[in-house]
Amino acid sequence: MTTEPEHAIDVEKLTKRYGDLLAVNDITFNVRKGEVFAFLGANGAGKTTTVEIIETIRTPTSGKVSLLGMDVTKKKRDIVPRIGVLPQEFSSFDRITVRETIQYYSRLFGCRNTDIDGLIELADLKEKSKEQFKNLSGGLKQRLGIAIALVNDPEVVFLDEPTTGLDPRARREVWEVLLGLKKKGKTVFLTTHYMEEAELLADTVAIISKGKIIAMGSPEELIESNANYLALTLKSVDEKACEIVQKMGFEPVHDNHTNIKVRVEHADDVKKILNAIKEAGASVLSLDVRKPNLEEVFLKLTGDAFREGPSEGVPE
Amino acid sequence: MSPRVIGANLVVSIKSFYREKSAMFFTIAFPIILILVFGTIFMNQDNGSFDLYVQDLDQTNSSAQLVKTLQLNGRFKITKVDPAINATQYAKDNKLNLVLVIPGGYERSLVQRMAFRDPNASVAVTYIYDSSSSSTSTKMQILQSVFGVVNQGMSGQPPFIRSAETSILTKKYRFIEFFVPGIIAMSVMTSSLSGAVNVNAELRQKGVIRKLSTTPITRTDWILSNILYQFILAVISTIAILLVSYAVFHVSLQINAWLLWFIVLEVFAFAGLGMILTRVAKEAESAAAAANAIMFPMMFLSGSFFPLEMMPGFLQTFARILPLYYVNEGLRASMVVVDNITALRYSAIIGVFATVVFVLGILTTKWEEGK
Repeated sequence: MTTEPEHAIDVEKLTKRYGDLLAVNDITFNVRKGEVFAFLGANGAGKTTTVEIIETIRTPTSGKVSLLGMDVTKKKRDIVPRIGVLPQEFSSFDRITVRETIQYYSRLFGCRNTDIDGLIELADLKEKSKEQFKNLSGGLKQRLGIAIALVNDPEVVFLDEPTTGLDPRARREVWEVLLGLKKKGKTVFLTTHYMEEAELLADTVAIISKGKIIAMGSPEELIESNANYLALTLKSVDEKACEIVQKMGFEPVHDNHTNIKVRVEHADDVKKILNAIKEAGASVLSLDVRKPNLEEVFLKLTGDAFREGPSEGVPE
Repeated sequence: MSPRVIGANLVVSIKSFYREKSAMFFTIAFPIILILVFGTIFMNQDNGSFDLYVQDLDQTNSSAQLVKTLQLNGRFKITKVDPAINATQYAKDNKLNLVLVIPGGYERSLVQRMAFRDPNASVAVTYIYDSSSSSTSTKMQILQSVFGVVNQGMSGQPPFIRSAETSILTKKYRFIEFFVPGIIAMSVMTSSLSGAVNVNAELRQKGVIRKLSTTPITRTDWILSNILYQFILAVISTIAILLVSYAVFHVSLQINAWLLWFIVLEVFAFAGLGMILTRVAKEAESAAAAANAIMFPMMFLSGSFFPLEMMPGFLQTFARILPLYYVNEGLRASMVVVDNITALRYSAIIGVFATVVFVLGILTTKWEEGK
C-alpha cells in the first residue's frame, strides 16, 4: 500500500540539459492537490521542458520528479491514465469532427462512460460539435484540446500555454472554460507568459527565468513581497515637473512624451510630489495611482523587458 | 497490443481518407486511369488486327482468291478500293499508310505459270505506303510472309524449314495481363510509402504525436494501426484495379493467396521504408520529396510498366536490387504463369527485405519526445 501523497506534484532538484544548453537548472517546487499552479516565464525560460518532464514525455538529466506519488521516469504506464494534457500548440486530425475527436481520445483511454456531451458543454463547443478540426478557429481548437485533456477525468490537468496566439476575445473565452475547470476542484498545472492569466486563474505562481525559479507564491503574496510600492503616473506634465520629482529623490521614468511614472513607498509621497509641482508652477493634467500588478513584479524580478522573444531553444 | 486502440485509430484513418478526396483519387482513381490508358494502347497491338486497303485491278476469280487468302490470314481487316480511282491519291486523301495494288493481268499470268509452266510469267503487286507510320513495316512483313507461302505452294515442293510453336505459358497471354500485376505492385508501393511518410511526418510536425504520447497508446499500437490501415487501402486499390481489368479488358489472371501475401509483404516493406525516411528527413516536405525520389525511379526501372528485356543490360542488373522488381515478378509468377516455385522464391526475397526494413522502421520511429 502506498500512502496517498499530500502533493500532486513533487519536483526536487530537477535539471535538464540539451547538450550545452541548460534548459532547467536545479529547480525544486511542489503543487498541492486541488490548486491551480501557474508556471510564469518568458519563451525559452524552461516552462515546457519542465512540464513535459512531469508529463513523462521527456526524461530529466537529474533530479527527482513524482506525480501523484509515482516516479515519472519509472511509472509512465500508471501515471498516463490519471493525467490530462493540453500540449503546446495543440493540434489534431484535420478531417475529424469535434465530437469524433473527443470520442477517439476517450477510446484511447478506454473510458466507457466519458460524458462527451458534458465535455462539449464545458468547452462551449455545442454548436461546433459536427465541425471538422481544420475548420475551427484557434480559440475553438484550444477549447477542444482542453475538453480532450479531460476525457479520462484526470486527477491532474496540464495546460501548456493554453491561450498563446489567441486574440483577446478568444483568450477570455478560454479563461471562462478554465475557471469552470477550477470550480470543479481539479489540480491544474498551467504554463503561461501572460501575467493577467496567471493572476486571474492561479492559486500559486512560480516565476521561472533562464531555467531557475526566481519567485513563488500566491499572486497577492508575490505582489506584496516584491512590490510594496505604489505606481504613480503623472499625465501631461512638462519637463520641469520631471526635474522637481528627481530632486525630491525619486526616480521618474518617462512613459511616453508627456507622462512620467514614479514608484513611491507611501500614499503621503503622492501628496508631497503634487504639492511640489504646484509650488513650482508646473502643470499636471491628471494622475493615476495604483498598486502594482504581477507584470511589474515580473519585470522587476526578471530584470529584463518582458516581450515575445525567440521561441524556446529546445529540440522538438 | 490493444484491439480497442487499433480500432479507434482505424476509424479515424478511414474517416479521414473518405473525407480527403485527393487521397481517394490517388489511391483508387490514379491506378485505374493508368490501367485504362496503357491497357487501351497495348490492347490494339495485342489484337494485331491491321487495316489493309486493297485495290484489285484484275477483278477476276483468281485475284479475288488472293484477297481471300489475305483475309484468312487473320491479321488484316480488308477494305476494298474502287479499281477506277487513283490509289496513290486515295491513300493521300484518306491518310492511309498502306494500299496494296493487285495489277491487271494477274489471272492471265497465273494461268501462264500454272498451266504452261512458263517460269517468266510473274506479277508484281504494288505497295503504296507511308514510311513514317510505325505499323507499315509490320503490315508489309506480314504480306511478304503470306506471299512467301503462296509462292512456295506453287513450286509444288513441300517446305523445308517448318516451325512448331511451344509457348512457355500454358495459355496465350496478352500484354495487359503482364501489365496488371505491375500496376498492383506500383499502387501498393506508392500508397504504403507515402502513407507512412504522411502519417508520421505530418502528424509529428503538427504536434499530434506529442499529444498521443501523453495517452495510453503505445508505439506498437500506433505502428500496427498504420500498417493495418495501409493494408486495407492496398486491398481496396487492388480490388479496384482488378475490377476494371476484368470489366474492360477481360483479363485472365489467377487470383490466389499469393496475391494477398505479396500485398502484405509489400505493405510492411514500404511502410517500414517510409518510417525510416521520416526519421532521416526531419521536415514533412523533405520526407515526401525523399519518398518520391525513391518511388519514381523504382516504378520505371523495376519493370512495372514494360518488360525488363527492353532496357539496357546494366539497367536490368540494377533492377535486380530493387525491391519492387521482386514484387512485380512474384506477382506475375503467381497471377500470370502460375509458377508457385518462382512465387515462393520472390516472396522469400521480398519477405527478408520487408522484415529488415520494418524492424529498422520501428527502431527509428521516435515516440517519446526524447532523451
